[in-house]
Amino acid sequence: MPLKHIQWITGFITVLLALPIVIGLVGTLLPAFHYFPPLGEYDFSLSPWRNVFSQGEFYAGLKLTLITGIGAPVLALWLALSLLAWGYQRPFFKKIEALLSPILAIPHAAIAIGLLFLLSPSGWIVRLLSPWLTGFERPPNWITVQDPYGISLIFALIIKEMPYLLFVMLAAMKSIQARESMQACQALGYSRFTLWRKVLIPQLYPIIRLPIFIVVAFSLTVVDLALVIGPNTPSTLAVTLFRWFNDPDLAMRYTASAGAIFLMITIFLVLGGWELAHKVFSAMTRCERSNGKRHGVSDILLGTGVILGAFTLLSAFIALILLPFWSLAKRWRFPDALPSQWTWDNIERATPLLMELSANTLIIALFSTLIACAISLLMLEIKRHSMTNSANPSQQHAFDWLIYVPILLPQIGFLFGLHVLLIYLNLNGDLCAIIALHLMYVLPYVYLTLKGPYLAYDENYLLQANRLNNRPWRHYVSVKIAMLKPVLFTAFAMGFSVSIAQYLPTLIAGEGRYSTLTTEAVAQAASGDRKQVGSMALLQAFFPVMVFWLAQIIPSRWTAWRLTIKKWLKKASTKKDKTCSA
Amino acid sequence: MLSVNAFSLSSNGKPLIQNLSFDIADGHVLSIMGPSGIGKSSLLNFLSGTLAPSFTASGEAFLNGDALHTKPTEMRKVGLLQQMPLLFPHMSIIENLLFALPDKTRKPDRLPLAHDALKRLGMTDKANALPKELSGGQQARVALLRTLLSQPHYLLLDEPFSKLDPALRRDVRAFVLAEIRQANIPALLVTHDSEDAKAMEGECLELE
Repeated sequence: MPLKHIQWITGFITVLLALPIVIGLVGTLLPAFHYFPPLGEYDFSLSPWRNVFSQGEFYAGLKLTLITGIGAPVLALWLALSLLAWGYQRPFFKKIEALLSPILAIPHAAIAIGLLFLLSPSGWIVRLLSPWLTGFERPPNWITVQDPYGISLIFALIIKEMPYLLFVMLAAMKSIQARESMQACQALGYSRFTLWRKVLIPQLYPIIRLPIFIVVAFSLTVVDLALVIGPNTPSTLAVTLFRWFNDPDLAMRYTASAGAIFLMITIFLVLGGWELAHKVFSAMTRCERSNGKRHGVSDILLGTGVILGAFTLLSAFIALILLPFWSLAKRWRFPDALPSQWTWDNIERATPLLMELSANTLIIALFSTLIACAISLLMLEIKRHSMTNSANPSQQHAFDWLIYVPILLPQIGFLFGLHVLLIYLNLNGDLCAIIALHLMYVLPYVYLTLKGPYLAYDENYLLQANRLNNRPWRHYVSVKIAMLKPVLFTAFAMGFSVSIAQYLPTLIAGEGRYSTLTTEAVAQAASGDRKQVGSMALLQAFFPVMVFWLAQIIPSRWTAWRLTIKKWLKKASTKKDKTCSA
Repeated sequence: MLSVNAFSLSSNGKPLIQNLSFDIADGHVLSIMGPSGIGKSSLLNFLSGTLAPSFTASGEAFLNGDALHTKPTEMRKVGLLQQMPLLFPHMSIIENLLFALPDKTRKPDRLPLAHDALKRLGMTDKANALPKELSGGQQARVALLRTLLSQPHYLLLDEPFSKLDPALRRDVRAFVLAEIRQANIPALLVTHDSEDAKAMEGECLELE
């Protein structure tokens, strides 16, 4: 891109990235100390904090948050590492790898709803076993989902996080020369799992530290998943805060803000503790790594992880397959494994609603992703420019860490602060506001997907194009962008699926005036009309998977299609010429 | 005629080339040889106007009496051929050739000009093929003709034969020389293969 005034653009984008975060944080921090001009409060006070610490709900929620928020990432990491250690470079595992991106693309609310259908007392597992094994003629009185210990929430989080960690690890494997290390260690007689634990995992961990932090922060603060499948009364801290923020008694906002600040501090403490634990653990195992033992207890640990990991992946799939069953079921009495009567009526009846929800969802996703792609290209071009012109090309650009801030901070921590700004700007409940808030979460994923391939692009193609024929802007699009098509499409699909999954940003910016598939599915998941919820979750899963599929198909065939169409057009025009002259 | 006067080059204070001068007549190729890292490619970058900021160069370059070194790259009308043919992978061969034709070429002339070039390459059947369907030697030839179609006023060749099979090199070298003579422009070849220099039938400068 033949950019001018690079410093101005850099400054502008930096402000654009930082401003919403700063405003959101200030908008939460001030009410936490009882300073809130919109409600006429100008005096600082510690009363919100006293309120928070006197609520029993707060302690119960915090306990659940810590259990689920630490338990889920630890387990997800264990299972992901086990699966990778077991399957890396095996042909069968390559097939699982291909299934990862569709699972990643599916919004977590859809998976949670699928799990609800699978695990609840009237869910598919109990149906399969009834009545021949259990003797149940009606759903038992158990609490299997939304259990008070958050086990089902942990399970749902693992299903979401394990594929993500696997995906990140697979991408990191190339940079540590895993294949060569594996061959060398196997030649020395190390068992597969032991060599992974002693040689590869210690090398892998530093590379995937940041994705792990993202996973931990997500687990501690997730709202939509916890609403669908998490415990209620008491619920996790994030959900409790969400309820307080929406309390009709506006004074609860101060308490909620103080709680949100506390949640943010909790994240930093947990991440610090996580790093400390890792330091201690690696110090403890350092000597043990070189003790020469070719097998170890950890073989069993990783082996168990493989079985549990495979089971987790399997249940994710069954959960997804169950979604269409519910939307097509007419009569599905309890112990039956399959509906006794099928019908399109549910879908037909829900069509007007589904159409409206889909239209909202797709418009928001399309615009926020397109804008995110444009901004990402601009940011990467600036980064490339600063890399070629600086003496130290590996120097970190401000964008590189700024981009992570929105995904590391809890949404509940600053979206409500940002909402106050939207009210001031009179943008609350506006479609633009929803798109802008989505953009904040779509942009990091688009940027990070594009970053590697964009910076690795051989700039000589573009230089040669401009030497042949100097039209810098045109060639930026017709040569560079055209050659980067595959990764641009993937980045678009990534951003699209992130946008479709957004719950809190849509709800807070839209104030309920614009519902999407996600907000509606989460709102109705608990209420019970499984047939309608199933259709919503199905569509929610369908769009991202389709976009990912198209992003795989289109770029590789684009040039062939373009040339074929060109040939047809030429044939058509020569035929016309002939008939004219005749 | 391309003339270079008192060219000196240093990288981070370390002198590489000192006081180099030469002239190249139209239709002739001057070969410059020398070991890697001596600044051969930087000389080409100086002439094409894309010298990396870590190098400092002094000296003058003239094309038929007009100063080149004061002009920005896009005003120099330079053709550059590198090791990689850099054919655009998402365009067919004919589109790659059409891409290079100057804006001022009249529309009805464009396609015939590109087809002429294909005929000279002996690849009329490859018009709609993609670059990846061509052999390395074919790609190198298409890359040269693409550069010449853009009607450069002088040509810079940066080891364009080094990635080719030895058996192919002879053909491609002869093709390049013939095309340069036909275009009647000065050309500068940088190489570390003395066979390349010999095949160009022109002067050869050795840098040390």
